[in-house]
Amino acid sequence: MTTLLGELKKRGVKVRRRGERLLLSDLHGAMTPELRAAIGAHREELLATLDAAGSTLESVDSVCPYCGVGCAIRYFVDEPENRIRYADGRESPVNHERLCVKGRFGFDYTSHPERLSTPLIRKSSSYPKGPLSTEVRGERRRRPGGLVDYEEVLPHFREATWEEALDLSAARLVEIRDRDGSGALAGFGSAKCSNEEAYLFQKLVRAAFGTNNIDHCTRLCHASSVAALLETIGSGAVTNVFGDVRNADVALVAGSNTTENHPVAATFIKQARKSGRTKLIVVEPRRIEMADHADYFLQINPGTDVALYNSWMHVLIEEGLIDEAYISERTEGFDELAAVVQGYPPDVAAGICGLEPDLIREAARTFGEASRAMIFWGMGISQHTHGTDNARCLISLALMTGNIGREGTGLHPLRGQNNVQGASDAGLIPMVYPDYQSVADPSVREKFERAWGVELDPNPGLTVVEIVGGALDGVIKGMYMMGENPFLSDPNVNKVRKALSNLEFLVVQDIFLTETAEFADVILPATSFFEKNGTYTNSDRRVQVGRKVLQPPGGARLDWEITCEIGTRMGYPMAYDSPEQVFSEFTALAPSYAGLTHDNLGLTGKLWPCPDPSEDGIQVLFGDRFPTPTGRGKFVPAEFASAKELPDEEYPFVLNTGRKLEHWHTGTMTRRSRALHAIRPGPTVDMHPADLEALGVEDGELVEVASRRGSIVLPAARSDGMLRGAVFIPFHFREAAANLLTIDALDPAGKIPEYKFCAVRVSPASSSGAVSGEGV
Amino acid sequence: MTKRRSGEPMISLTIDGRAVEVPPGATIWDAARLLGMDLPVLCHDPRLEPVGVCRLCLVEVGEPKLTAACVRAAEDGMEVRTSSGRLEVCRRGLVELLLSDYPVDASDRPKTGSDALVALAAELGADWSARRRSGDPGDATGSRTEPAGGIPAGDGRALDHTSKVILVDHQACILCDRCIRGCDDLQVNEVMGRTGKGYRTRIAFDLDMPMGESTCVSCGECEKVCPTGALSLRAWEEPPGEAAGSGDVGWEVL
Repeated sequence: MTTLLGELKKRGVKVRRRGERLLLSDLHGAMTPELRAAIGAHREELLATLDAAGSTLESVDSVCPYCGVGCAIRYFVDEPENRIRYADGRESPVNHERLCVKGRFGFDYTSHPERLSTPLIRKSSSYPKGPLSTEVRGERRRRPGGLVDYEEVLPHFREATWEEALDLSAARLVEIRDRDGSGALAGFGSAKCSNEEAYLFQKLVRAAFGTNNIDHCTRLCHASSVAALLETIGSGAVTNVFGDVRNADVALVAGSNTTENHPVAATFIKQARKSGRTKLIVVEPRRIEMADHADYFLQINPGTDVALYNSWMHVLIEEGLIDEAYISERTEGFDELAAVVQGYPPDVAAGICGLEPDLIREAARTFGEASRAMIFWGMGISQHTHGTDNARCLISLALMTGNIGREGTGLHPLRGQNNVQGASDAGLIPMVYPDYQSVADPSVREKFERAWGVELDPNPGLTVVEIVGGALDGVIKGMYMMGENPFLSDPNVNKVRKALSNLEFLVVQDIFLTETAEFADVILPATSFFEKNGTYTNSDRRVQVGRKVLQPPGGARLDWEITCEIGTRMGYPMAYDSPEQVFSEFTALAPSYAGLTHDNLGLTGKLWPCPDPSEDGIQVLFGDRFPTPTGRGKFVPAEFASAKELPDEEYPFVLNTGRKLEHWHTGTMTRRSRALHAIRPGPTVDMHPADLEALGVEDGELVEVASRRGSIVLPAARSDGMLRGAVFIPFHFREAAANLLTIDALDPAGKIPEYKFCAVRVSPASSSGAVSGEGV
Repeated sequence: MTKRRSGEPMISLTIDGRAVEVPPGATIWDAARLLGMDLPVLCHDPRLEPVGVCRLCLVEVGEPKLTAACVRAAEDGMEVRTSSGRLEVCRRGLVELLLSDYPVDASDRPKTGSDALVALAAELGADWSARRRSGDPGDATGSRTEPAGGIPAGDGRALDHTSKVILVDHQACILCDRCIRGCDDLQVNEVMGRTGKGYRTRIAFDLDMPMGESTCVSCGECEKVCPTGALSLRAWEEPPGEAAGSGDVGWEVL
């Protein structure tokens, strides 16, 4: 029987049992009459064998690897095949068994045959460094679609042993550090990795590299929100969990396409609205699905949020819908704010935002009349050069109406990655050690120097886009990237390409060959989410344990072990027995995590802070005081300012970028998931029907979208939800990389790029060329 | 479980002689669950508002008529019986009726969980031996060509292969409404509803679109809550890394 099964496998013929039926799949036409006869002769035996191999599934309780909602999932695993069969939502305060398409069907990327399993070293013939595939070079691509072409890229690398790859990485990093100083090194961690991995990675960069040049993708999603929150209420995390929307009279959803980006959180918002308890106000430049559920939908002009919320505050003050007791007891700086919003009556804001003054007034009134209001926001608020101002306005709105610190109220910036909260908590930020303790504070630094046994750099480090700029200028010479793909995720790809080519040494640790890995000297094969234990902190501040579900492929190693190996080889010994041990070192240095252990987190995790680990942790923060020097929340007024690059005659459209429901960021995971790829195989640019008509382009026809930084060609999609003059492109698809177009202008406080606004030109694609990107 | 309204006294009842207290508004099914009793049920799930359509949770409460525990509020002093000869006959009869046009191969399909209808049939000793396999997964257009179990199929009770992740077998649907409530009330996607009348009643997506062409967002909630093989996982059938996006892979049945 084994020989027959082996023969079938060799030929690519698949056999499965379904009840008493035997299913055959012969995709490559490799079946022969002899084999068919053999199958017929051994039918019963085959059925019995297949039953023994495939009928029992093990179950593992873990969490979802995708977004910041952090749904609790039970995975059902075929252990002999080392494959997840299906996923089911578990009962948990987070998701109450619900899942979205990514959580339920998007786990199979981890078993994709393209997983890296051997360390790789760039061949000497492939220097000087640069991109290796036609697409990453920016040349027209021969065929459309797809991910990094392994056949094109792999020949530039040779397989190496772990010893050789790790020794080489450590030696080159040490060489640069000793020659050019610690400031010539930098590290990008990842919000996809666990708290333990994030903690160790920043410890490596700070203690072994000797620099604070450590950052990660939070910089690109909520850095401005966190900057505003820290400045105004002294803490960057949410003040209440999203599930508490059921107790709110009003929910404001601002700059968040929640149903696509945080689908399960969105179900609770929609359910609250449907129950009749909660009124819903949606503010978005696109008519998103959530707008269909809204009591008020304000389709504002892109980038005009400050004007709108200043106007709301103007109305609230004018009509006495503010909480004067809260303002006088809990806040400071109200008079300065009142003076600024005085200049934004609805008539003025209406012109800027493209809304009727009455709609602005009515929505403001609805918000002001609520005794409990919750504010949710996403990248539409944060990813602007005035992203911090946008967030300041939302915070002022909550402070003015006394909507922080009680059930059914609060501020909830919906976090993007599954561990974006935790990676920030663990210190993957250039200005702060774990738990937001400032690197510039001598007493804090002393504490960490004592804990880590080395002298630490007193200067805050560079942020993501600054590090890329530093690589371009030759200031940053050596980098270690763990699970990040800045080639596609950072703004202005053409600039990133030059910067990465310019690095003297780059080590990339990832599970697939990414676009960024094409620029690497060393590539280290890492483990996926499903192949390790660790903790992840969701948008609610809930710390949950992700448990090992599958065995890693071939020679892939645990991320935290790789980081420790590099540290040790750089002369900074890092040795741990387990993620639990790393977690306890981290929690000892991070007061917010005090008392938490892998054991007491259990199956549904706990919210930080958790003063009593027998309880679930504190859900509503800041009921009595804010963790600011004065204990008060601070109003920080903001004046409306335009986006950096406004549309003009040459580039008349406004480009907005973001995600689609089925995909994740640079697509390395979701484009390798069968179901997710099948549902959404490629990119589109969403446009208003009238704009399409004016261009003479039909739905599905190719258009060229160009900005001052690059151009891409992709199919147009007719979308009634778009404003005229605005286009939307998801950033998942390398063959039409949205970030070739985006501008790398930064918000001054949050250092976040303006992904949500730049000027582009759209024209019918002249050539018959396939979907493609073009370099400069 | 319905939330306890503060100030109102608890309700005391007995189920099969065991005393239990529940808050006002709780159902008999809720009360039984508190006692750790699993009343047979197909249309109910604790996460959903009960609708009482499958009638399998029938109990005796000392009235002439049997009552469905999932929708009947518990009352003070109520004496509930969950098993008797009469109840067994009724339950078994209900399951046999549901299975009378059930395509047997539907129970072989991969699911989140399992086919609760077929499991219940086994538990209750329902006789459905007269049923035969349709042996026909449907042709490419989704129409079931062979009638199942001698009862005319057709009437739109066909297979819907259009979703990339979920297979819909309308013939295996018992119209328990769990998928509709999962879609509309839990996920609030509001894609699913019912269409048709009488025997032609079916679950439907949007204005009776094929699932894959509807506004369905593939969250999978409908499949998860479905107690039969009517909604099953297509994703499992096709191993990753192959045939991505190719629709139905050519699986040959031997």
